[in-house]
Amino acid sequence: MPILDKPAIVWTAIIYLALVVVIGFWAARRTRSAKDFFIAGQGIGLVVTGLATMSAAFSGFVFIGGPGLTYSMGLASMFICIPVSFTAGLLCWVVAKRLRLLAGVREIYTVPDVIYCRYRSRLASGLAATAVLVGTVGYLGAQLQALGILIEAIFGTRGPLGEWSLAVAMALGLLVVVFYATAGGMVAGVYTDLFQGTLMVGAAIAVFLYALKAGGGLEPMARTIAESDRFGPGHLDPLGAVPVFMAMGFFLVFAVGTLGQPHMLHKFFMLDDPRKLKWVPLVVGGTQTLCVLIWLGIGLAVPSLVVVGRLAPLGNPDEASPQFLLGFVPEVLGGLVFAGILAAIMSTADSFVNIGSAALIRDLPKAFGRQVSDELFWGRVAVVGIAVSAAVFAYLYGDLIALLGTFAFGTFGAALGPALAVGLNWRRVTAAAAAASIATGMGVNLVLEFLAKQAFFEGLPRPPFQAGVLPAAVSLAASFTVLFVVTWATGRRRPPEIDEDVAVVMDL
Amino acid sequence: MARRIALLFLALASPLILVLNFMPWPVAETLFAVLVMGYPVALIAMAVARQGRVGPLGLPLLGLLILLEGCAVGMLLLRGRVLDGPWFGGLPLAAAIQLYGVWLAPLLLVALVYALTFDRFALRQEDLDRLGQFLRDREDDG
Repeated sequence: MPILDKPAIVWTAIIYLALVVVIGFWAARRTRSAKDFFIAGQGIGLVVTGLATMSAAFSGFVFIGGPGLTYSMGLASMFICIPVSFTAGLLCWVVAKRLRLLAGVREIYTVPDVIYCRYRSRLASGLAATAVLVGTVGYLGAQLQALGILIEAIFGTRGPLGEWSLAVAMALGLLVVVFYATAGGMVAGVYTDLFQGTLMVGAAIAVFLYALKAGGGLEPMARTIAESDRFGPGHLDPLGAVPVFMAMGFFLVFAVGTLGQPHMLHKFFMLDDPRKLKWVPLVVGGTQTLCVLIWLGIGLAVPSLVVVGRLAPLGNPDEASPQFLLGFVPEVLGGLVFAGILAAIMSTADSFVNIGSAALIRDLPKAFGRQVSDELFWGRVAVVGIAVSAAVFAYLYGDLIALLGTFAFGTFGAALGPALAVGLNWRRVTAAAAAASIATGMGVNLVLEFLAKQAFFEGLPRPPFQAGVLPAAVSLAASFTVLFVVTWATGRRRPPEIDEDVAVVMDL
Repeated sequence: MARRIALLFLALASPLILVLNFMPWPVAETLFAVLVMGYPVALIAMAVARQGRVGPLGLPLLGLLILLEGCAVGMLLLRGRVLDGPWFGGLPLAAAIQLYGVWLAPLLLVALVYALTFDRFALRQEDLDRLGQFLRDREDDG
């Protein structure tokens, strides 16, 4: 990518990184307690919560991986992102109200805290904390890896630094994220998310309009693609070009699996007034939908530009976004979009360093009946430790971390979704059922994803699925099934005991 | 009643979805698509029910269910008919169903219904008063 030839892109990236550091300094002065550090003092308003939720949910995948996937597999890939239109409503109706009200009656900073309150089970909350840590390593490692690759491309470090280029680029990105996440905790996290989210939405809308302009409009692009030999009509057939199990599996995992994403659920603890949940689906769903426009726009424009010969066929589908941005949008907008991609990656990364830190110094010790004395201090230490560990791991074991990153969403969804979604709404769900469901979701997903995608060990069997089946869809269904079966088996004689305050919240 | 139906659907659909992933039955794909589209709606119905009933939210939830299931069936029926089938809104009908029906329509339906019914069904003032009273009583009890 000849980005160095475009000074506006380099300068926009530098200004963006500097602004993030300034927000970090500002937030550090407002972070005085563990409550400030982990849930921003529970004093965040609607717009900040909405945009922080959106930007934490959307990583760089929406800007680079998504359009690349649409270039390679057509509109079926959109089933990954189109559930965003109602997942915010799903979250609010099914879990958000109770999460926020529980955070008002108990000291709740994390999802494992909720699991402990609801089920009074250290085993269940310990398993939830383990799932959070496992997913965090994958998600965070993948974000830091992508951050390094993008910084390397923008600043052109490959030439002068040679084989050390990626390490230095990752270190630079890591330094910025660790600085503001350590100094300002979640206060810095949500306010950088607000800035980053605004940037992402603006960039996505502008690029979508440029994509329509470059392709001559929606229908001309669609007809060009459908009538071409290279892509063909199947490219625009949502259930025709890939197995239904894959397309609908995407929909299941990315709709229902959202109920277990800690980086999104975490934001509900921070809302200053539960009545502000009223507008969260509109703000989160609306901004997510606007962001997805970049995926659709580039995903359709690039194939049509390739067909008409204005772009060379891509060797790597992930080149779809960079190629389009470098060739078909003004340089300043290109700079803003690259900053938007940096923003998307960093906003997801900062959420995960905070959540991983909480799992390490708060949730896991509690699962063993212990409590860390100075959570604010040790939380900051854990942020540095987790971020550096994930970065080193990502640098040394790039393939493995990429693999972990791809199935982190499924791990969270399958492990935490059922115990929260059903358990917070149905009193009969027992602690044993929750623990079994969390263990099943995490274990089945890790094993199946590894067997389905691994190239490390020859001779290991592939899972015996039908064509196109997603391991995450299987593990999500398995986790829900186990929850219902174990609830039926263990809760028939005596309904589980629930603490009075939790019961009051569940009845509302 | 609505809550029981939702729970029953979830309890039966979960193992069925699990099994379908492994079984090469002729109707497996269609059944999978139908169950998957109904799953989030059942979760919402389970969560919003008060004393087992979804009340006036029943109609919008039924609308969402019909919309999603109708879109799934439409996309399945239109498979392989991009060039010779009808186009709508600049896209082949199946793609239009996906983008306008599954993506954009639920945004308006879900977000607006949630906002418009929030004060009466999601979180009522009397709910907050009840919770506040509970917290005050707990504080008084030490």
